[in-house]
Amino acid sequence: MESPPFGDPSRLTGPFLPNGDHPEKSALFLHNNTGKKSVLLDWSTNQGFKSLKRLIADADVLIEDWDLSTRRTKGVDANTFVSFNSQLIEVSITPFGLSGPYSKWKSSPIVQMAMGAIMNIIGIPDREPLMIPGYQPDYLAGTNACNSVAIALWERDHSGQGNFLEITMLETLANLHQAPLDMEGGIRHRNGHRQSALSTRGFAPGVCTLEANDGYVTFGGGSQGIWEQLCLMMGRTDLYEGKDFTDLTGDKELSDKVDWLLVKWMEGKSRADIHREASSDWQLPVAPVLTISETIEDIQFIYQGSFQELDHPVAGRSVYPSPPSSINEKRLPLSRAPLLGEHNSEYL
Amino acid sequence: MTTNGALSKFRILDLTRVWAGPLGTRALGDLGADVIKISDPRIPLDSSARVNNKLNRNKRNIGLRLDTEEGRNIFLDLVSLSDAVIENFRPRVMRNLDLTYETLQSVNPTILMCSMPGFGIKGPYSEYPAFGSTAEAVAGIVSMIGYDSDRPLQTGLSYADPISGLNVVWSVVSYARRRARKGIGCHIEMPLSESPLGVVGEYVTASSQGVSMPQINGNKSQYFCPHGAYQAFGKDKWIALSVTSDDEWVSLKSVILEKELQNAEYDDFTMRKSSEKRIDAIIADWTQSRNPDDIVELLQKVGVPAGKVTNNLELLTNQHLQKRDYFVELEEEKWGLQKYDGQSIDGNQKPKNMWHSMRKVGEDNYLILRELLGFTHSQYELLSSNGIVGTE
Repeated sequence: MESPPFGDPSRLTGPFLPNGDHPEKSALFLHNNTGKKSVLLDWSTNQGFKSLKRLIADADVLIEDWDLSTRRTKGVDANTFVSFNSQLIEVSITPFGLSGPYSKWKSSPIVQMAMGAIMNIIGIPDREPLMIPGYQPDYLAGTNACNSVAIALWERDHSGQGNFLEITMLETLANLHQAPLDMEGGIRHRNGHRQSALSTRGFAPGVCTLEANDGYVTFGGGSQGIWEQLCLMMGRTDLYEGKDFTDLTGDKELSDKVDWLLVKWMEGKSRADIHREASSDWQLPVAPVLTISETIEDIQFIYQGSFQELDHPVAGRSVYPSPPSSINEKRLPLSRAPLLGEHNSEYL
Repeated sequence: MTTNGALSKFRILDLTRVWAGPLGTRALGDLGADVIKISDPRIPLDSSARVNNKLNRNKRNIGLRLDTEEGRNIFLDLVSLSDAVIENFRPRVMRNLDLTYETLQSVNPTILMCSMPGFGIKGPYSEYPAFGSTAEAVAGIVSMIGYDSDRPLQTGLSYADPISGLNVVWSVVSYARRRARKGIGCHIEMPLSESPLGVVGEYVTASSQGVSMPQINGNKSQYFCPHGAYQAFGKDKWIALSVTSDDEWVSLKSVILEKELQNAEYDDFTMRKSSEKRIDAIIADWTQSRNPDDIVELLQKVGVPAGKVTNNLELLTNQHLQKRDYFVELEEEKWGLQKYDGQSIDGNQKPKNMWHSMRKVGEDNYLILRELLGFTHSQYELLSSNGIVGTE
């Protein structure tokens, strides 16, 4: 459901495909709306709101992102729609939720990543904390909305009853920390090119992103086994012999030394060679830092069908990420995003 | 409505370890599923950092040696009584145990299996190990983060893991619905490295038509200005703010009264963007002497998106989340009453008074074997003494 004149605000948000700011050429809109139909309807008018209600009366699921003031203006509450469609599953997605001290606060991706204790982990100590670019909190909350819908549908299959459900970005982000939030009373800090520690003891050496000949490489780790393999690979078994791995965590001098040894080990090797050698010969979680266009060309992603090419009457041919799973070794085919109001005659 | 949670009649055998898988099965358990975690009895879960404890609440635990014939048979007997099996091993592990989808199907033709390999069950990297931190690198995420264009930085949080964990939930439940309606199971393959592709999809689509990626540039945005984190008063205290419209700019300059910001030229995004460094310096000058909470309060009052760069301890005591009853306290045998994040997936969750902390490896051995497979106590004792089942 899009409202006139321009439809979904993401149609006016970049990145745009070549040749201009055009409501059918926003890559953000095109990616997030594959497989959907579009109905253009001004539901701010009484007439329009009636049409919306008619559609909702017949719907299984309503997903909306109306904030408190919009809800008040429209006279909508948790019961409005469920009251005339008892099987309806309504999911509200908001930054902070419809109740609580921040319920009227404004938000944006960087604000969410700050408040969700994500930014505090990313970047160099003493320098500005960093966000992950794009719309991460929106994507993650959207995924959770999908989770809520799937579970509510499962329940409705048994009970016949719908539900009103609330997904918030902040609560979603607060779920995405690996360590308990109290972290033994310590603060999880930014750790530059290294993994941020999960405990007050600090992180293991050799868990970092380093420069190779033709770009960067990320080394994963954090266990005795991986540490020993890494030392074997570097030809430095002396670094672990007779030592307990946990005693080496947080040793900055050792971490610096291991960085240097790894850079030496990578000398003369391409990222692809490093990936293959470290992963295959040494069974280490090591991978190249790929740019987005390298990702699209990556042989494993191509093998998996992780991307699909779709044509679009205005935007032309582009590549889109597939849904993140295959079923019985088959990919679900994507279909292109709709044009603004393309399906009006079908639904109105 | 069932009182034990929406998924209370759904049984999952959970072979996942570390993070992505356990986060997903934790959510399924919070929503009421009977999650039976199958652990290697030789490897304890409990530790003082409590990372496993956090991710494995609301699951039962059986310590079972899958690499023994008897252990494997017990597992297959459990498969025949279960709805789904979720695992995140490297592909060869399940192959070597002869516990592939085909084998599971032979004892339960409608079983759902969800595999979460690093890169794929087949393909050139299929046997390469992967972690959340390396998966985010191949998915293009790391190439976008940093201060300068020549130095990408990893997220530090193994971002591919939590995204994958969330994706498990809808995938498994959606195919569970199909199974309930049509009586067919399936094998869901969800590689760790694929989940992050969706959260950078707009860049994938744009890049595929030759649009160049924005250069790594701290927190700067192509579309919003000002946009970033600014140092506040106190050690490592920061606030983040973003002006996402010209109206919000007008609101911002009504709070930060510095004369230069009042320049009407700045009311236009393009003009602000061309003077971004200068504007950032003025804002930073204003924020550095102020308490972060006060800054956020002032800015939010006039409708400017702003928030404090919060650390894990502050998040745990966040008043908004407390008011919304988000957190949960669980009693742990070794560590006492511990406070954890709740469950952000709204729905008919298992009532909080029925939530339980992580069970130790093997804690439910006898109960599961007796209840589900009809083992007598002496049969169980024999299994224990042979090391087929064991406890932490």
